[in-house]
Amino acid sequence: MERINLTKLQSEDVTSKAASCVAGAPPPCARECPFGLDTRSFAARAENGRWQAAYKTYRDAVVFPEIVSRLCPAPCDGACPRADSGGTVNLRGIERTAVAQARDKRRDSYAIPQKAGSAAVVGAGPSGLSAALSLVSKRYSVTVFERETAWGGSLRGLPEFDIFDAEFALSFARLDARFEFGREISSLAELDGFGAVYLATGAGGEDFGLLRGFDPALLTTPESRVFLGGGLAGAELMTSISHGRLASRSIEAYLQVGRVSPAAGASCALTPDTSLAIPSPRVVPSDASGEYTDGEARAEASRCLKCDCDICARGCEMLRRFHKLPMKIAMEVFTDIRANPPYSSHTITREAYSCNNCGHCKRNCPESIDVGELLRFSRRARVEAGSAPPALHDFWLREMRFSSGDAGFYSPCNEKGTCEYVFFPGCQLGAYDPRHVLRSFSALRSVYDTGIFLGCCGAPAYWAGEDDMLEASSAAIRAAWDALGEPVFVFACPTCASLFAELFPEIEGLSLYELLLASGAAPAPPKRMSAAVFDPCSAASDEGVRAAVRAIAERAGAELTELPETGKCCGYGGHMMLANPSLYGEITESRASASELPYIVYCANCRAVFASRGKECIHALDAAFDLSPAPIADIDTRRRNSLEVKRLITREFSTDDAENSPLPAPWDDIRLTIAPETAERADRKLISLSDIREALYLARETGGFFAAPSGVRQCSMIRPALVYWVTYKPTDDGGFEVLDAYYHRMKFGGGETDG
Amino acid sequence: MADGNENWTCGKCGAALEKKKTVFSYLGRSFTHDVDVCPVCGAVRIPRELAEGRMAEVEEQLEDK
Repeated sequence: MERINLTKLQSEDVTSKAASCVAGAPPPCARECPFGLDTRSFAARAENGRWQAAYKTYRDAVVFPEIVSRLCPAPCDGACPRADSGGTVNLRGIERTAVAQARDKRRDSYAIPQKAGSAAVVGAGPSGLSAALSLVSKRYSVTVFERETAWGGSLRGLPEFDIFDAEFALSFARLDARFEFGREISSLAELDGFGAVYLATGAGGEDFGLLRGFDPALLTTPESRVFLGGGLAGAELMTSISHGRLASRSIEAYLQVGRVSPAAGASCALTPDTSLAIPSPRVVPSDASGEYTDGEARAEASRCLKCDCDICARGCEMLRRFHKLPMKIAMEVFTDIRANPPYSSHTITREAYSCNNCGHCKRNCPESIDVGELLRFSRRARVEAGSAPPALHDFWLREMRFSSGDAGFYSPCNEKGTCEYVFFPGCQLGAYDPRHVLRSFSALRSVYDTGIFLGCCGAPAYWAGEDDMLEASSAAIRAAWDALGEPVFVFACPTCASLFAELFPEIEGLSLYELLLASGAAPAPPKRMSAAVFDPCSAASDEGVRAAVRAIAERAGAELTELPETGKCCGYGGHMMLANPSLYGEITESRASASELPYIVYCANCRAVFASRGKECIHALDAAFDLSPAPIADIDTRRRNSLEVKRLITREFSTDDAENSPLPAPWDDIRLTIAPETAERADRKLISLSDIREALYLARETGGFFAAPSGVRQCSMIRPALVYWVTYKPTDDGGFEVLDAYYHRMKFGGGETDG
Repeated sequence: MADGNENWTCGKCGAALEKKKTVFSYLGRSFTHDVDVCPVCGAVRIPRELAEGRMAEVEEQLEDK
C-alpha cells in the first residue's frame, strides 16, 4: 500500500479517482441537440410550471426560441430512451408551450463595460444574426452588413416570418448593433477596419475563397481574423443558428488573445438506466392546433426521465443523505486535507467517517468509481496530517491492540514447526462464541494439517486510516506466515479474507465454509427452518463462500429464500457507528427489515448488529455444528472469551502458557454491582466494565473523586481520545455500586491533559 | 442519573465545588464554559447532562469544521 505524501499531493491525485464519473453528463437527447440544450433542467422547470425559467434556459441555448421551437426537426426525439416505455418525450411540444407561456421575453441587460475590439458580420440571416446578437451582448462593437434591405435571409418568405421578424426586433431592441442594409461586401479589404469578420452569406453565398481550408470545429479560415459558418458552410438552419454562437466564442478568443484553441474534449457518455421508468403514454394535445395546454405540457415534461447517473447514491444511504456527486466528494477530499482551522474549515469529515467502506458503490458503478476508497483516503490523509478526530475510532483501535496483543497467538500446533493450513478465525468469532472457533478448528484438524492464528486482520486500522498501525500489524502477520512455513490461511470472517486479498496478495486464502463443506466435516442433523442468508458486504465478490454457506445451511435443514438484494453492509463496516449514529440506525434498521425471515449470517459482526435490532439471527456455524446460538456477548465477555479461546488452545497444544497469558491488571479484582440496564447502556456507548473498574481504581488510589451528601460519588479518567466519568456508591464489602457511566470527547483545562 | 441538584464537594480537598469559567479544548480549538470546580485543587466535574448534551453538540460541530 502506497503511503500518502501530503507535501507532494496534487488535486489530480485525488480527483482522478472520480474523473470518469458520468453524473451530470449530457443525456442522449442533449447530445443530439444542435444547441446542447440542458434538457434535464428545461424539463424539470417545465414540469413544475416554471415557464419563465424554462423559457430562459431554452433561449440561452437556442438563441431564437420562436424559430427553433417551430422549425427544429427535433433530432432529440430519436435519442430519447423513453421510446420503449410509452413513447419518446415530446420535447418540441414542451418548448412550444414554454415560448407561449413565458410572460417576459425581453433579454436581460447587464451593465458590462464596452470591450475593445470590433467585428463585422456579413449576412443578416439566422446565422449572422445569432453571431451578432451574441457578440453585441458581450459588448463588442458589431456591424452587420446585408446586401438585401432587411434581415431574415433564408427565413424570408416563410409563412411565420412576421413572428421571426418580431423576435429579431425584440432580441436587438436594447442592444446597439449597427446594421447596414443594402450594402454588399465585394472585397474583404472593405472590412480592414474590423478586428474580426464572420461570413454568414448563406448557401452558395460569397466566401472570398476561404471555404477551402475552413475548420468546421472552430469556424476558422486560412485568414486568421475571418470566420465563416451557417448555410455558406453547408449547415442546415438549426446548425446555422448554433454556428452563430460558436463563431461568437471563436471571435471573442481571437480578439482577446489572437488565436482560437480547441474546446475541452467531450464529457463522458451517459448510458441511461431506464429500468425504473414507469411506462406512460406520450401526452397528446387536446387542441386542434397541436399545441399543448399548460397542464398537458407539464404532464409531458413529467414523463422525461431526466436521464442522469445516480446508481451509487441509489444504492447507498450515506450518499443519499449527503447528496454529493463523486467528483464533488473527490474535490472536497483534497481541499479537506489542506483545511487549516480556524482559518479554513473541513467540509467532508462527517461523510468520510460515515462510510461503511462496503464497496457497493464501486461494484455497481458503470465506471467502477470507488467512493468508499476516496473517503478512506480522506481518513488516511487526516491521520497523516494529525487532524483526524481521535474519538471516532479509538474504541476499535484499542480492541485491535487487545486482539493482536493479549489475545493474539499463533502456532503450527504440531511438532514439525510448520503447517499446511492455518485457521484465522478473526478477532470477533471467538469473542462472540468460543465454540465457533474451537469446533471449527477441531473439524479442520480432523482432515488437514492445520495450525492456529488468533489475531486481528487489521480492519480497524484500515477503516480508521491508521497507516502506521496497519503497517505494523501487516508486518507481524507476514512474519507469522513466514514462521509457520507459508501456510494457506483459512478465514471464518469474509472481512479478514477480503482485506488479506488486498494487503497480502502473496498469501493464499480459503474460506472456512468451503473447506468444511469440501471435507464433509461437521454434518449436523437436519432441523427444518425457513431462513434467508444475509451475505456480508465483504463476501459480495466471493461466490464460493456464498454458495458454501447456503449449502451448509441447507444441509442443516434450512429452506432458504434469497433476499431482494445483497452486497450491502449490515451497518458495522467502516466503524462509522460513532461518527453518525442516526445513519447507523437507518442502515441497520433497513437491513434488519429486508425480510421477515430469520437471517443466517457468517460474519460475527453482522450477527451482533442484527441482534441489537432484535432481529432473529444465527451464525452459519451454529447451523453447521448444531449449536444453540449464544446470547450476544458484551464488551467484557468478548474480551474474556477471546482470552479463553487462547487459553484452551495453548493448553491443548502444550505451548508456553505463561509466556502467552496477559498479566492481570490491578483493577481486575474490583467488585462491581451494576443494574442490567446501566450495564447495557454503558455497553451501547462502548464503555466496558474494565474501563469503569480502571476509573474507580484510579479514584481509590489518588482520592480524586467528588462526593455528594447522598453518598453518591463521581470520578473521571482521562484517556487520549475520551474523558470517562463514573457515578457510583462505595459498598460495604469494599466494592462499588455503579450508577452511571458516560464520556465526552473534549478536554478541560485548556492545556494538554492527556493521561 | 440526575446529579445536578446535589451539593458536591471535592473528595481530595473537602471543599464545596463552585461554578467557575473553565477552558475546554477539542481538535485544536478552545472556549470557556461555567462548570463545577474545586476552589482549592481546580478539579473539574462534568455532569452527564452536560457531557451528552451541550458538550456532545459542540464536539460534533467542531468535528465538522
